[in-house]
Amino acid sequence: MSDGTNWRRMHRLMLSGAVAAGLLTVTAAGAWAQFGALGGMRPPPETGIFGWLLGQQAFFYQALAGLLHAAKSNGSAYWGLMGVSLVYGIFHAAGPGHGKAVISSYLLANEETWRRGITLSFAAAALQSVTAIVIVAIAALLIGATAKMMGDTVNDIETVSYALIILVGARLLWIKGRSFRSALHKVRARAEPAKAVTRESDIVHADACGEARHHDHAHSRDDRVHGEHARADHSRHDHVHGHHHDDDEEEEESVLPWGHAHGPEPEELAGPGGWRRGLSAIVAVGLRPCSGAIIILVFALSQGLFWAGIASTFVMGLGTAVTVGTIASLAVGAKSLAKRLSVRRTGYGLLMLRGFEVVAAGLVMLVGVALLTGYMASERMGFF
Amino acid sequence: MLRVPMVHRFLLTLAVLAGLVAVPGKAFAHPHVWVTMHSDLLYAPDGSVTAIRHAWTFDDMFSAFATMGLSKTNGTFARQTLQPLAKINIDTLKDFDYFTYAKIDGKRMKDAFSQPLADYWLYYDPKTTLLTLHFTLPFKTPVKAKALQIEVYDPTFFIDFAMAKDDPVTLVGAPAQCKTATQKPPDINFPTTLRFDQALVTSEANIGMGASFANKITVTCP
Repeated sequence: MSDGTNWRRMHRLMLSGAVAAGLLTVTAAGAWAQFGALGGMRPPPETGIFGWLLGQQAFFYQALAGLLHAAKSNGSAYWGLMGVSLVYGIFHAAGPGHGKAVISSYLLANEETWRRGITLSFAAAALQSVTAIVIVAIAALLIGATAKMMGDTVNDIETVSYALIILVGARLLWIKGRSFRSALHKVRARAEPAKAVTRESDIVHADACGEARHHDHAHSRDDRVHGEHARADHSRHDHVHGHHHDDDEEEEESVLPWGHAHGPEPEELAGPGGWRRGLSAIVAVGLRPCSGAIIILVFALSQGLFWAGIASTFVMGLGTAVTVGTIASLAVGAKSLAKRLSVRRTGYGLLMLRGFEVVAAGLVMLVGVALLTGYMASERMGFF
Repeated sequence: MLRVPMVHRFLLTLAVLAGLVAVPGKAFAHPHVWVTMHSDLLYAPDGSVTAIRHAWTFDDMFSAFATMGLSKTNGTFARQTLQPLAKINIDTLKDFDYFTYAKIDGKRMKDAFSQPLADYWLYYDPKTTLLTLHFTLPFKTPVKAKALQIEVYDPTFFIDFAMAKDDPVTLVGAPAQCKTATQKPPDINFPTTLRFDQALVTSEANIGMGASFANKITVTCP
């Protein structure tokens, strides 16, 4: 084989590698920064945007308490309470929290629409509000629990929630790992017959990447090669590959002439509708209530304003969903860009996309493990 | 080959995403609990510091949260009623090194304190509705130093500590030449009062930037 094609392939591989490494660094850095508790023997820096963010949150949190006081005697304070709850929710979700990390990684790993990303964020936030309200209602109103008992309950729920995140991540990793393997097979399988043909003629191999500038001089040969490849691929990997019917397939079909050799997509594994698939992520993220919401609810109860507390909790959740939804949209945007990138590139591009999904799936699991082992900071409930 | 602009756009989106998700994560949670503190430094006759006696007063929201499920007698929470809660607090505080860190002549003491003395207790003020935790933290070995520095803070910033406005530190039985100085960080998040019904009016003006939130007590005995 000629040095030229070798070099071209090498070059392509290096470029893919560089982009993949970049992605990995960015996502890993993101995950790592979440591990705020690491070496945390110093108070956090309170300057710049973080200090500002903390200041806003602290202020709105205090304002919530103040408005709850005020609402006791002044009906118009309710409006202020709802407004502050919304803003607090928006700011609070911008702080540390596993919700954003899990949801955005989840969206990066999956083929999701913008609308589903938003829905996922709102559903998780709504569930979070409901958990907080149910816990406080049962603990304080029904069984007269102490703060310690409630803290323990929240800790148990937290453990379950983190374990669920690990499960969601593990399942994604399994699915995406298989897709990645099948993409890898494709790249390899394509390289092999191409190699064989290159011995006949260099021109054919150049076309294996489907680039237009090569098309004109080797069309007929190329088709033949791809046809062989598709057959080989099928006979060799039938046990792994299934057929799927999403738009991804159609796009790939038009670009990848060698046909139906795809790994199963999560849609297939989750069954029709696909809502069950999102549900696991919603529950995993939304199960653990906000410490702040619980403290505020108990405080509202002590002021005889439990209904105001409940309304405030839901509005807070709405604010949280706005922030998480914004971040989720970005994740969906990034993913669709990644998809467009990979659709244009055949072979290695697809491999890169699948590799990226594996990393994102791994991140979901990593965040779960970090949370469960207490390595990653999560909100406390005081010191009980 | 890869079309560079789209790759750039993709990486940029990803970087923004990572930033949004992660960087605020580094900023820790905002404080949920506010504490004002009085601290006494207890001296032995030989002039060494033997213990710190803390009195930490919690804000009204947290006080209400902490006392949930407890029943009042004569309009207040009796000391016996609060004692189990105090025990839980003291036991759990061990995991956080009692939020109290000591430096001798500029060097950080590791594992400086032993268990709090058994006379810890919680006090509930029915007028202000605020809880105060009293406990004494003995040094493992009494400290004799030219400069002793005590820092009180929560590294995870769940609790925001501030020194009381009046007499935050008292030296008990200290040699005459010993002097205390306190360094209060300009903590803009700290409410002007722990009663949020009164704080609302005043704390808005306090929003802005702050510095590190460690409260430093320095005692120099030349």
